[in-house]
Amino acid sequence: MATKIPANLKYTKDHEWALIENNTVTVGITDFAQSALGDIVFLEVPEKGTHLKAGSTFGVVESIKSVSDLYAPVSGEVVARNSDLEGSPEKINEDAYGSWLIKVNIQDASELNNLLTAEQYQEFCNTSH
Amino acid sequence: MMTLKTHLHDEHVKLGAKIVPFAGWDMPIQYTSVKDEVLAVRQSVGVFDVSHMGEFFVEGPDAEQFVDHLVTNDILLAPLGKAIYSPLCRQNGTVIDDLIVYKISSGKVLVCVNAANIEKDFSWFKENHKNFNCRLENRSEEFSLLAVQGPKSFETLKPLMDQLPDIQYYSVIESTFKRRPVIIARTGYTGEDGFEIFGAHETMVELWQKLIELEVKPCGLASRDVLRLEVCYPLYGHELSEELTPYDAGLGWTVKTSKKDFIGKEKLASKPSKYKLVKLVLDKGIPREGYPVLNSHNEPIGSVTSGTMSVVLNKGIALALIEIDKVPKDEVFLIDIRQKYYTAKLLNKTFVTGGHK
Repeated sequence: MATKIPANLKYTKDHEWALIENNTVTVGITDFAQSALGDIVFLEVPEKGTHLKAGSTFGVVESIKSVSDLYAPVSGEVVARNSDLEGSPEKINEDAYGSWLIKVNIQDASELNNLLTAEQYQEFCNTSH
Repeated sequence: MMTLKTHLHDEHVKLGAKIVPFAGWDMPIQYTSVKDEVLAVRQSVGVFDVSHMGEFFVEGPDAEQFVDHLVTNDILLAPLGKAIYSPLCRQNGTVIDDLIVYKISSGKVLVCVNAANIEKDFSWFKENHKNFNCRLENRSEEFSLLAVQGPKSFETLKPLMDQLPDIQYYSVIESTFKRRPVIIARTGYTGEDGFEIFGAHETMVELWQKLIELEVKPCGLASRDVLRLEVCYPLYGHELSEELTPYDAGLGWTVKTSKKDFIGKEKLASKPSKYKLVKLVLDKGIPREGYPVLNSHNEPIGSVTSGTMSVVLNKGIALALIEIDKVPKDEVFLIDIRQKYYTAKLLNKTFVTGGHK
């Protein structure tokens, strides 16, 4: 199965993508994740102002048949959530990288080193199934 | 654990199915999209490989009497050519399995059982068969089983079969496909009109290929589960188990205590139930198996046995077992989804009305 992994993003082993711009990280789930989940029908993400801890769950994404936790790629405060997805979470299936979930203010830049590069994530996807 | 593969496994792989272990088998869970597969069956026609299910043949002068003695529903009352859904119970009235009995011809009965229960059921059949003059065979490994389901299933299948009359829902006939024997039943697990076709492996692989060529939608177990839940069919291991009686699952209509004698009759005569199975629908949130159900005072009263997002309603739906003495009179049900309580509405009819006659 060919899965899209843009080179300009960073990734987690829990299949989130992270776009790093200045002091903010934009977070979504990868094409691999949306494909594994199937039809996405429900999304639960935290309110603006919520404080996240890197590696902890910050929400859930549900397909018709399954529930998956979302994990924060970095620690920090949620500064925006994508309200466009609330009524139509299926957009994630259509365009995983165009459907961001939340934006987080980076608290500790050193945590960015823990994220995978596109190449490392590709390698991870190849070996984990 | 080693998993078994159906004889259609290569076909599933060719179609890009997502394959998961289920009841000891590698089964296709979905091909393209669960939603599309559900809608194909509700609106047109889909095909499922359900070859993991078990087939027992009971043949001989006492075949019907023997099966009637084992199951709670009335087999003798039904005419030849009919299919009968029934629980199979122990003496204490708890459910060993739920199954379909096909009265193929005089002295020839086919019993189709759940994949996970084949060994258990067959042992039970053997243990109880001493006083009956009939042969008992577990022929599960010889048969593949395809379910062709949806409003267009008859018009799809009719030209393919050497002979397929417009039989009634819950009927069965012996026919042929390319001159090879098949058993065709107008049964299914979707609530729609549809057929289940039993045949030798090579025959069923050819039928599958023909159906795919005709653009019948291949459907996986995930859509099958949504379809059955939308029409409130129970699933063994969820709404039915060795801990429950048919009355717990709302299957009192399948227990014919008026018939002469059957295993469990004495216990079941008093209609024993510890639970009431309820149908719940939510405006927000998706209920899942195991989620607690609470009353308006936030007290636990039961739990969800099956839950999903309904494709037809686009709402969360659940079957839940509620302790019989805790069924709330105010009909207020809350479902605990990740420590948040969501209000659920009690339904008295099925979530979706299937189109079978």
